[in-house]
Amino acid sequence: MKLISIKSLGVVASFALGCSLSTLAVAQSATNIAPPPPPPAVSTMPAKPAADMEAVLDAHAALGAKPIETLTPVAARIQPSAADATKALMRAKRISTAPDPAVVTQDIAYGGDAMQYARIYKPAAPRGNGPMPVVVYYHGGGFVIADVNTYDAAPRLLSKQLGAIVVSVEYRHAPEFRFPAQHDDAASAYRWVLQNAASWGGDPARIALAGESAGGNLAVATAIYARDHRLMLPLHILAVYPIANSSKTLPSRVDSANAKPLNAAMLDWFGYYYTRTTTDLMDPRLNLVKADLRGLPPATIVNAQIDPLRSDGETLAQMMRAAGDTVEQRTFPGVTHEFFGMAKVVRGAANANDYAVQRLQAAFSAR
Amino acid sequence: MKIYALLAATAFVASPAIAQVMSAPEYVATAGASDLYERTSAQTVLETTANPAIRSFATMMLRAHQQSTDMVKAAAMQAHVPVDPPMLTPTQDEMITELRSETGPARDAAYVAQQRAAHGQALTIQKAYAASGTVAPLQVAAAKIVPIVQMHIAMLMKM
Repeated sequence: MKLISIKSLGVVASFALGCSLSTLAVAQSATNIAPPPPPPAVSTMPAKPAADMEAVLDAHAALGAKPIETLTPVAARIQPSAADATKALMRAKRISTAPDPAVVTQDIAYGGDAMQYARIYKPAAPRGNGPMPVVVYYHGGGFVIADVNTYDAAPRLLSKQLGAIVVSVEYRHAPEFRFPAQHDDAASAYRWVLQNAASWGGDPARIALAGESAGGNLAVATAIYARDHRLMLPLHILAVYPIANSSKTLPSRVDSANAKPLNAAMLDWFGYYYTRTTTDLMDPRLNLVKADLRGLPPATIVNAQIDPLRSDGETLAQMMRAAGDTVEQRTFPGVTHEFFGMAKVVRGAANANDYAVQRLQAAFSAR
Repeated sequence: MKIYALLAATAFVASPAIAQVMSAPEYVATAGASDLYERTSAQTVLETTANPAIRSFATMMLRAHQQSTDMVKAAAMQAHVPVDPPMLTPTQDEMITELRSETGPARDAAYVAQQRAAHGQALTIQKAYAASGTVAPLQVAAAKIVPIVQMHIAMLMKM
């Protein structure tokens, strides 16, 4: 007993020293926190993906992707992404993986932390002389992994197809910064865009919010924030497979528990690192289905059939409609989580991109 | 005794789970692969680029990522950690193949896009080992490499 106490004191001493020397070092050591124990196994096997979707999943495995839910955050962040797999398949099919030069980018800080910056996508040759519509886009990665570099496909495509300025927002990641740091950054980036869009050639009266996965959650949560803080509301919300429902018994949590590239164990893993306590999962900013959803702008929710988050989008659409909002929700068959950035090699992704572009286009031109 | 127990409890609250940093050989291999990818991709873009900014950045990367490899190697030898010749991961190998598949300005653009992602990952590794690595000389080397990688990221943000 005595030995254990002395050893503990040693840990305390070095921890305290670390704190006094550098709070950054302590924040960074959070990325080495051991993963949580795995949830009980579910035997249900997911539906079979379409052949072109399956090819991306095979390419992902060929790159040596390890199960995220077994890793520390630092190890998870250096794993090949679904975007890496998509590029590998494009290269094999002799499709260029270089960024489309029809769109140019610029990185600009919106806050004091190194992660508080945005990548601004602009058409290289704008369509007219007038100000362009603006899309504020939040990337995915469960608030823990991935960044604006990983999620380049969707913002680049939206900028090109819509002739719009797309502001892809980087934000502080967990576990260095836990919930609600990501929501705070998403909101301050939205405020910053409202103030600065005109200086980039954007039309501050035509702004939409968009995001994928954790970023889909941020898009909806930021619209709620805008309503509550009497900011100008976006014209439209595009939420692609958002995190929106903390229930563990949703149909997709079971039928797609073992799906790829996202499985139910990974959802727990992300939550373990981004929440301060498990009660955060009941916060309406994460559990959007229990938020006050009244008076939100029209929304488009895109889901993938083979995705543990499918029911999140479906139930969010139901709750938004019940609150009186205008919502269209579509679940695309034969595709998985992350498919939205795979249009060059997955037919279902091209269909979903076309759908999202058409919905945003309609919202911008109605104005 | 009571004070010890109290302090231990405080530490547990502040640091909720036991740190499981990558092992010293894992760190050496990961950092070595990252540097090898940096040098190989720089050589690949230098073969074709006509862009002076890219040429200057890639030339700097060749030098800087040899220096960081030398620093980690020296620290590893000091700590008696074995250093194997670095090997690209399958993803890094694929990224080099992708660069080689592009020509002209497309290769330049692919290089910059890859650099942004790769430097973000390099920073993650170096910061994590600097914060809680278990072999002191390697921890010191990682801490020295962090600001160099941050400088590269700042340069990339302007490209």
